Amino acid sequence: MTKAMLIDTTRCIGCRSCQVACKSWNELPAEKTAFSETGSNPRHLDASNFTRVLFLESPAPGGAVRWSFVKRQCMHCLEPACASACPVGALEKLATGPVVYRDDRCIGCRYCMLACPFQIPKYQWSARVPYVRKCDFCADRQALAKKPACVETCPGEALRFGERDQLLAEAHRRMKASPGPYAPEVYGERTAGGTSMLYLTAVPFQALGLHHRGFRTDLGETAVGQASQAWMSGVPWVALAVGALSTGLYHLNQRRHRVKEQEEKGD
Amino acid sequence: MATVEQVGSAFTEPGSSPAGTSPWRLVAYYFLATGAIAGAARFVFGLGATTNLNDGYPWGLWISFDVLTGVALAAGGFTLSAIVYVFDLKEFRPLLRPAKLSAFVGYVMVVLGLFFDLGLPWRLWHPLVMWNPRSVLFEVSWCVMLYTTVLALDVLTMILEAREEERWVRILRSIYVALVVAGIVLSTMHQSSLGAMYLLMPEKMSTLWATPALGPLFYSSAIAGGLAVVILEALLGARARRRTPDVELLSSLGKGLAAALLVTFAMRVTDLYARRVPVWSFDGPHLLFYLELFGTVALPAALLGFFPAVRQGRIGLTWCAGLSAFGVALNRFNVSLTSYAGYRDFRYFPSVAEFAVTLGFISLAILAFDFAARRLPLHAPTP
Repeated sequence: MTKAMLIDTTRCIGCRSCQVACKSWNELPAEKTAFSETGSNPRHLDASNFTRVLFLESPAPGGAVRWSFVKRQCMHCLEPACASACPVGALEKLATGPVVYRDDRCIGCRYCMLACPFQIPKYQWSARVPYVRKCDFCADRQALAKKPACVETCPGEALRFGERDQLLAEAHRRMKASPGPYAPEVYGERTAGGTSMLYLTAVPFQALGLHHRGFRTDLGETAVGQASQAWMSGVPWVALAVGALSTGLYHLNQRRHRVKEQEEKGD
Repeated sequence: MATVEQVGSAFTEPGSSPAGTSPWRLVAYYFLATGAIAGAARFVFGLGATTNLNDGYPWGLWISFDVLTGVALAAGGFTLSAIVYVFDLKEFRPLLRPAKLSAFVGYVMVVLGLFFDLGLPWRLWHPLVMWNPRSVLFEVSWCVMLYTTVLALDVLTMILEAREEERWVRILRSIYVALVVAGIVLSTMHQSSLGAMYLLMPEKMSTLWATPALGPLFYSSAIAGGLAVVILEALLGARARRRTPDVELLSSLGKGLAAALLVTFAMRVTDLYARRVPVWSFDGPHLLFYLELFGTVALPAALLGFFPAVRQGRIGLTWCAGLSAFGVALNRFNVSLTSYAGYRDFRYFPSVAEFAVTLGFISLAILAFDFAARRLPLHAPTP
């Protein structure tokens, strides 16, 4: 019963209407843009841009150039690192799929920004009362049984919203039905413990070279946040051992000194 | 009572220079003033306008120095109380109270520093009621709050002694064991957990520092840093307050510092070997790594451990302790800042305001310690 999104980049035409829909649903301010060397715009995700289509050129057979359009936004991990990192539980994975952020809990430590393996949480640096901002999978729309704004608006059916297991089955069906246009992997199926965003690409992610741009291929299949949980499960035992040992030795030393004093008195 | 007599003598220290004469003090006041101005600007104009922090580098100088380095260098308090009470090395007792005072001052600076760095600092108390037991930072914030309280009670006992409030001193003394043990436990937990916070992002860090052993490594290097600061404080503080330092005792503690450094060195080498990290190269991270491991861990360890002449001299001891303390700071910067170089197309170098606030905190820490050291019975015997 957990929702997901299938992002078939081979169907994306790079129109960026998802970016516009996201802005308008979340009431994010428009901003002046500038040309970039690739055509991707705006240049980075930030506190007022929750999604962005990367325009990527890669060599295709026959000396041609192949365009890949890869949409970026929060991956909505099954076990999010941000939620393991946050000291006050401001970030939370809902059973229905979205990873949501609660303004009223956040203390502004920004550990989530460091912990996220996909570099998603962004900060309102220019605000005097700043919060973390990121895509929330349109949790508010989902609560009204609506699709996320980006899915709703996508004209090329590159985005599909549904149950995660059904979308995974669909992804594998597409790969099997026409193996030509697809690289044989679903990014997000097991990446970093699995995410709610599932990607189909023409070129494997490794070859797209997006290591520094939010799509790492060296994350493995365990959730990043498990390191946090593993450490925390050891902490009580260490505390207990150190506490018992110091208390014991303290009293032993005190006793030894008392005995010594008495012996000296006795002599 | 002997205690009261000694308190009295510590109170009117013979030959202590009147405040406000030394040029160093003027420098400290200057940095305190600029830090206060920069700090006010941070609250008026916000983090974005006054710092160079950005989405690629959400943590900068204030976390690396004011928090991580500050906590590590304030480890002398719990280290000395473990040495005296757990390992029963009573000869180090005279250093215990100065160590606790410097730890208290250090932790107050850390908490104040966090106040400037947090986006919503008035919610500093949130972790007390909003729990996330999976989070390493949740544990760290609890430990830091509790340990600062423990240190505050220690310092309170000294203040009450100086004011001869015998009854209150007795009440606080009755929970002294609990305070000692709590201090050791809480410090062990958060000193190592500060390193464990970086277990979540190995893929973003240079392999030289991204290790599963970050927790134990932070712990052992903090012990070295704490000992180094205790030695430095005793030598430099004695000069400032015109006392004669007990060089013999400090050089004996210098042996302990050498041991802590050697353990840290051995752990680092073992870890790098076990992870098969390519160690020999001449790029930026490797040069920082050589400086850290050989220049500030191996070198002072060797000098203190194997050259008694260096260890027994005031100058040698000062330089070795200074080098070790610098090394701990360098390690914290490497783990939390330089390790990420080249990872993203973002750059970070601290702004003038960030430097000003940090320098202000360093000055405030020195002035506050000096102020308290001249008034508290630091050299009275502890039970």
